[in-house]
Amino acid sequence: MTAIHPKKDSPSATDPSRRSLITWISSFALAASGLIAAAANFIFIKPRVTYGAPARFAIGKPDDFPPGTRISLDTHRICVVRDGNKLAAISTTCTHLGCIVGVADTGFACPCHGSRYDQDGNVTGGPAPKALAWYQLTLAPNGELEVDKNVEVKAGTYYTV
Amino acid sequence: MKTLLEFPRTVWTSVFRHPLPGSDLGRSQTSFTNFFLHIHPVKVNKHTLKPWYTMGLGLMSFFLFVILVFTGVLLMFYYVPSTTQAYDRMLDLRGTVAYGTFLRNMHRWSAHGMVALVALHMARVFLTGSYKKPREFNWIVGVVLFLVTMFLSFTGYLLPWDQLAYWAITVGTSIAGYAPVIGKDIKFLLLGDNTVGQEALLRFYVLHVVVLPAVLTLLIAIHFWRIRKDGGLSRPPEADELPVQLAASTGPTMAITVNATPMQLDPAPKREKRQFGLMGIVRGPFTKTGNIPDNSVYSWPNLLTAELFVFVLTVAIILVLALLFNAPLEEPVNIAHPPNPAKAPWYFLGLQELVSYSAFWGGVGIPGIEVAILFLVPFLERKPGGVGRWFAKERMLPNTLFMTFAILNVIFIIVGTVFRGPNWELVSPW
Repeated sequence: MTAIHPKKDSPSATDPSRRSLITWISSFALAASGLIAAAANFIFIKPRVTYGAPARFAIGKPDDFPPGTRISLDTHRICVVRDGNKLAAISTTCTHLGCIVGVADTGFACPCHGSRYDQDGNVTGGPAPKALAWYQLTLAPNGELEVDKNVEVKAGTYYTV
Repeated sequence: MKTLLEFPRTVWTSVFRHPLPGSDLGRSQTSFTNFFLHIHPVKVNKHTLKPWYTMGLGLMSFFLFVILVFTGVLLMFYYVPSTTQAYDRMLDLRGTVAYGTFLRNMHRWSAHGMVALVALHMARVFLTGSYKKPREFNWIVGVVLFLVTMFLSFTGYLLPWDQLAYWAITVGTSIAGYAPVIGKDIKFLLLGDNTVGQEALLRFYVLHVVVLPAVLTLLIAIHFWRIRKDGGLSRPPEADELPVQLAASTGPTMAITVNATPMQLDPAPKREKRQFGLMGIVRGPFTKTGNIPDNSVYSWPNLLTAELFVFVLTVAIILVLALLFNAPLEEPVNIAHPPNPAKAPWYFLGLQELVSYSAFWGGVGIPGIEVAILFLVPFLERKPGGVGRWFAKERMLPNTLFMTFAILNVIFIIVGTVFRGPNWELVSPW
């Protein structure tokens, strides 16, 4: 008779409430371990660093954008707008399905599914569900303009130089 | 010396325990003891072999998957999942790698074919009422297989890293981003970044060559296993009716099948003792012992020839397509200039067409409801009857609903593919 096979008359082996308690606790522990493992995998595949285009980048000196310009920087997917002394960065990523909108006389036009936006990025036509985002634009200490795509600002928020 | 002379024969018989079958016993043993054949039942109902009942659609999908694994592994020898190299490798496949173009063509056309055939197979199963009890679970496995197939095709779409790939995936993952609450996270997890780039290419590659094929293989195994355990392919009740009533058909629906080894037709010398072996508990209306006449035929050669025919047909069609048509390869990725119009893969163009009306409903709402209905349908349609026949009268309503959905999807795909031009405006293809 080994420890694995306790005596049949041993109360610990036959007590049903003790048995079921152990069953419940071990089932719970097993399920919890499974869930934690799944969560760990989930955390693992969610990247903490991204290697793509940085969300925060310099776009040049304010003088590079004379008053009245609307310059689309396709690699950064933004349009820099200067109105007098006021500067802003508007997203050129279509809110519909992520195509790059082109700068048109009336505002912005998407080549993919025909969404149209006005000068401020508000939807004027097509399937786009919401307006183009405006990003935070600041002047870095080195005198260059800096855009942070992680920070969305309210439409109509300008940086004054 | 004698040992040496018999060496090839001893090796052969150690691998193949039975000679090519010449008797019913042999046919049973061959199916039963061979690893690759034991997935088949020893005998199949004659109805299962009717070509126009299943049209071999499921089997064709499976064989296409086999071709895809084979050609895919070969392509992996030359492919690098890097934004700077992937496109060059495509050009190398076309220019320098022996049979490179041909292999890529085979892989591409098999992939398109698999999406289409899995969908057609699903339609066959629905229109013959085959998901009814006891096959509800296998239908659900099938729906998951359909979704995994689509996802496999979708992840493969990005790998050439051309304009078509880049913008199709940009549009496709943006559709995923419309899912409520978790949409943005799904998109971020899938791309590993905020836009399609190196991380997305690597992730799609790993999903495409390891994760999803493994999942698909496991699910296919379960799918095939359940066919056997659910009593073979669906068939009308009359297919099981016997010429002679041998057992109480009112008996239990589970029975123990016993394989009696000595069969009357076996020309081998009669043995002293009868040996009975318990082969398993299967669904069936009566107990079979020995060679009782029924509506079934031996899998070897009847089923195997049919499968071989489907295999040869599938491979032949893919070979011809791969010889005649080249898989498209567009300009290398230019992230600043989307093609106009930017289109998703064809099987998502129905969705993209819907998305051009409403992003949420077209991309998430309607497809989500459709998939939910597909999952639930064997539990919604509980009335028995009409199983095993195409367009059974008893199942007029479900079949009509299914056909309506199917035809609408096809119409949307055709409109999205052919009738949409620049800025997604309606154009005439002629």
